[in-house]
Amino acid sequence: MAKIIAVTGKGGTGKTAITSLLIRHLTKGDKIVLAVDADPDTNLPETLGCETNKTIGDIKEFMHDERDNLPPDVSKESLLEGKLYEILEEMPGYDLLVMGRPEGSGCYCYVNNLLRSIMNKLVTNYDVLIIDAEAGLEHFSRKIFRNVDDLVVVTDGSRRGLRTAERIRELVGELDTDVSNIYVIANKVTDANRERIAGTADELGLELIGMIPVDEMIVERDLAGEPLFDLPDDSVAVQEIEKIAQKLGL
Amino acid sequence: MADEFPFEISPMFEGERIRKDGMYAELAGPKSKGFELVRAADMDDVEDGRFTLIGPDLSDMEEGSRYPLAMVYKIAGELVEADLESIVERRNHEFQNYIQGFMHLNQRDDVWMRVSKDAIAKGMTSFESVAKAIMMLFKNELPFIEKVEAIYITDMDEVEKEIENARAVYKARDERTRDLHDEDVDTFYGCTLCASFAPTNVCVVTPDRVSLCGAINWFDGRAAAKVDPEGPQFAIPKGDVIDAESGEYTGVNEAAKRLSSGEYDRIKLHSFLEYPHTSCGCFEVVGFYIPEVDGIGWVDRDFAGTAPNGLQFSTMAGQTGGGKQVVGFLGIGVNYFRSPKFIQSDGGWERVVWMPKMLKDKVFDSMPEDIRDKIPTEEEAADIDSLRTFLKEKNHPILERWVEEEEEAPEEEEAPQATAPQTGFAAPQMMQMPSNFMPMMGGGGSGGVKIILKNAKVSIDKVIIKKQD
Repeated sequence: MAKIIAVTGKGGTGKTAITSLLIRHLTKGDKIVLAVDADPDTNLPETLGCETNKTIGDIKEFMHDERDNLPPDVSKESLLEGKLYEILEEMPGYDLLVMGRPEGSGCYCYVNNLLRSIMNKLVTNYDVLIIDAEAGLEHFSRKIFRNVDDLVVVTDGSRRGLRTAERIRELVGELDTDVSNIYVIANKVTDANRERIAGTADELGLELIGMIPVDEMIVERDLAGEPLFDLPDDSVAVQEIEKIAQKLGL
Repeated sequence: MADEFPFEISPMFEGERIRKDGMYAELAGPKSKGFELVRAADMDDVEDGRFTLIGPDLSDMEEGSRYPLAMVYKIAGELVEADLESIVERRNHEFQNYIQGFMHLNQRDDVWMRVSKDAIAKGMTSFESVAKAIMMLFKNELPFIEKVEAIYITDMDEVEKEIENARAVYKARDERTRDLHDEDVDTFYGCTLCASFAPTNVCVVTPDRVSLCGAINWFDGRAAAKVDPEGPQFAIPKGDVIDAESGEYTGVNEAAKRLSSGEYDRIKLHSFLEYPHTSCGCFEVVGFYIPEVDGIGWVDRDFAGTAPNGLQFSTMAGQTGGGKQVVGFLGIGVNYFRSPKFIQSDGGWERVVWMPKMLKDKVFDSMPEDIRDKIPTEEEAADIDSLRTFLKEKNHPILERWVEEEEEAPEEEEAPQATAPQTGFAAPQMMQMPSNFMPMMGGGGSGGVKIILKNAKVSIDKVIIKKQD
């Protein structure tokens, strides 16, 4: 069974960069990864350097718009599965799935129910499922992904950022999804705030598994809109990610 | 049994995905062409176990290549008939996925297969072994098949030539399937997917009645219930027919009691004004009774304006939704308009007096021809007066229902009297009362009162009727 990791956090904290670097780490080994972009506000594909066309949102709309034109006895689960395989972007070492746009005004109970069963089956083909999730954890509340082994909250070094992590922990408690572990990664850490972050995390009872320093290489690539997937091994962020991956057992 | 094949065969491989990294060849699929087709044939026309390949074999294909693939199976047997073709054809998907290193997706002319590098390395070098395995499974699992032969085609010209024949067969089959009606089956299907929003909802899906959300038809219910009978879609035995016209069955009434926790015990599947179907949390269209014209209007979720009764979809949906059985309002799925039994116990299309234009356009082709120009939209009728005028002008069949009233009170236009259930008040709160309240209004023929409202505009937040102490 695949290990399921969800990376979440407020916008701007660098969670998508960290997700990409975790995928980078995994594909350097021999792990087969399913990467899921579940945050419409960010762009995991671009950060990975991969182009995608269609999203789960698109195929849900297709199912909604076309259902009365389909052969009446077509197996909709099988049809949806085929469509999903069609939009899976196949890259060396990992496949990428983009959740895409939010649902329209129609009723999606049925199609989401089919999707749950297809995703459960699909996930068994991978060693690791890693989800770049928006902070509201919407796809979890809809139970598209049933259980999460590790929920990783990325924050900046501010007290407010760590408070967000605390709130996400509370939110998880309200979901039906089982989450085994909640970890925190502090990003864009400097020598000036390093100790303080560790102290605050401790005070809030958050398990801090890594502090990633400001990485000039990432800053430059972000500015140029270039992918982070092929960062060199000597990038400081890459080195810290290696340690984090070890702690996550990856 | 699988010893004769250079691969494992087991249901455990069903969910196996062959990724691009591990793929040897891709067959048919979105970037090529192909199809699967099962045809029933005479015993003499089928040579049992025979395999024919037209075009290159797996051993001729290079790693990473893509080819078209058509798979035709001819089956014969004393019990084999054309109606079984699609059932057998569907199993090709299942059985090919049982083969380790072979992936089959979709169906018909959308099929998409992949063969893994591992499978080739282990000796799957010919389609013959694949086809023989499938033929063996067909005969083992479907004993009515006495003889089967397979023809696989990987030559593009040949696939293109044959694909049109296959499409004609699919089309003819679909037409037969669409011709399935409530009276042809003994099982309906229920669904509880939206039970959390609509706890007393009793969703009954029949060949002539799509689910209210529009997403689930009878075949979907059947497929899901077969896989997981305890799942969100499950069988409802039809039971005995109480009344075919309104669609009342003992099995449905029993299910109603069970699913609504005793709240409702009667549901008439094709009725609007008497024991209608409950309305769930997310129906696509809501119907509303318009007492002034004794007709029924419909408004869909996408229509943002107000219906002639002055209400918007959201208001009516709020009154009706949540799994209630509300006389005077009814949630439906768009496809129910295309049902030959569409509210047939209340007059069907002849009772329909208003629809938003977008909705009307959507179902226009399924409307009886002679009614099409007689049903106004927001463009012709925005309120009750213009609605009445339009209906009169076009001589809408609803006029026949007016005669009685006009004879009774020829000088005044009056709201239908509150003496019969089907002409009850339109005030939404009244309508929320359970339907067994309605007969009380008749006064049991003991004289009672006659209420005539003239030019009345009544707005009632709440009506409380209490027995006097």
